[in-house]
Amino acid sequence: MKNVTHSFVFLAHWPFAGSFGLNTDILATNLINLTVVVGVLIFFGKGVYLLDNRKQRILSTIRNSEELRSGTLEQLEKARIRLQKVELEADEYRMNGYSEIEREKANLINATSISLEQLEKAMNQVRQRVFQQAVQGALGTLNSCLNTELHFRTIRANIGILGAIEWKR
Amino acid sequence: MNITPCSIKTLKGLYDISGVEVGQHFYWQIGGFQIHAQVLITSWVVITILLGSVIIAVRNPQTIPTDGQNFFEYVLEFIRDLSKTQIGEEYGPWVPFIGTMFLFIFVSNWSGALLPWKIIELPHGELAAPTNDINTTVALALLTSAAYFYAGLSKKGLSYFEKYIKPTPILLPINILEDFTKPLSLSFRLFGNILADELVVVVLVSLVPLVVPIPVMFLGLFTSGIQALIFATLAAAYIGESMEGHH
Repeated sequence: MKNVTHSFVFLAHWPFAGSFGLNTDILATNLINLTVVVGVLIFFGKGVYLLDNRKQRILSTIRNSEELRSGTLEQLEKARIRLQKVELEADEYRMNGYSEIEREKANLINATSISLEQLEKAMNQVRQRVFQQAVQGALGTLNSCLNTELHFRTIRANIGILGAIEWKR
Repeated sequence: MNITPCSIKTLKGLYDISGVEVGQHFYWQIGGFQIHAQVLITSWVVITILLGSVIIAVRNPQTIPTDGQNFFEYVLEFIRDLSKTQIGEEYGPWVPFIGTMFLFIFVSNWSGALLPWKIIELPHGELAAPTNDINTTVALALLTSAAYFYAGLSKKGLSYFEKYIKPTPILLPINILEDFTKPLSLSFRLFGNILADELVVVVLVSLVPLVVPIPVMFLGLFTSGIQALIFATLAAAYIGESMEGHH
């Protein structure tokens, strides 16, 4: 009986006796159950759709943005082409417009100078006619109003003026 | 006299079958302290697992995540969601803390349930999940306390202490008591659950080594995951609570 008690005491202190080591008892280390549990976890863990869903979501997001990007790039390219076309047209219009304006200017200058010449000619004619009419009118007046006595008086007055001028000198 | 060796043998056999060790520790003497070495060893293994996973996760990041990267990103998203729902808009700086808590506790718990620790024999005591030891859980809970005090003080300054006399100053003792019960409940909940899980499995294994413990092991996996989640959620909730109501 004493020995049995002793063995209890011994058992209670038994772990002190050991050191680091490997426990190869498969049942005591619960290896089989652990293998089963880990196996089941991996087997069912692979079938979890959370991760697949997440991946699909990321993929679709990336695809959408790629599509958006390519669409935008296409539009940008189209816009650039149109811009080029419009710029070319603008250049053409500018050149055409310049030559047109030059021509118009020359035409205008020609026309103006022609009309100017005509105007001068007409002015000369008018001036000549007015002069002739004035001379004729003066002649008529002279012929009608100048009698002999008036003639002499005029001549005399003029002679007086001339004489005064001479005398002043 | 002939009986004695036989009885010793039977007893030893009995002991081998029902060798359930509770409260036995493998001590290291560091400085003036007695350290529970089995906790340190398993903690190091857990830390190695976590750091190794981190290295694997960030080694070769792809735009379209590979399986491993996808998994780790999912975990990160999960932790961020958790912090966001508990803390609110300013959850950003607390994601690392909450994540560390959650991942360490979770991997600790699951390592205790999944890794065959008993293959390695210690001179005294046995290897188990780090959260199986009250010291680990108390340390984690005190860290949480420090974290929510820091969060409140850094956000509100000394006016943080106004919350002790709200809604009425009569509740002051209870409010102060709360600061002690929070880490207490956190640490005891985690410790008790994990210890109970592992004890149940160990006792069942010692009684019926095959098949019967498997459902209990799955139950242990479930509850230990839940415990990690609860701990992280409560830590985040405490932090959020001490930060809220600022104007």
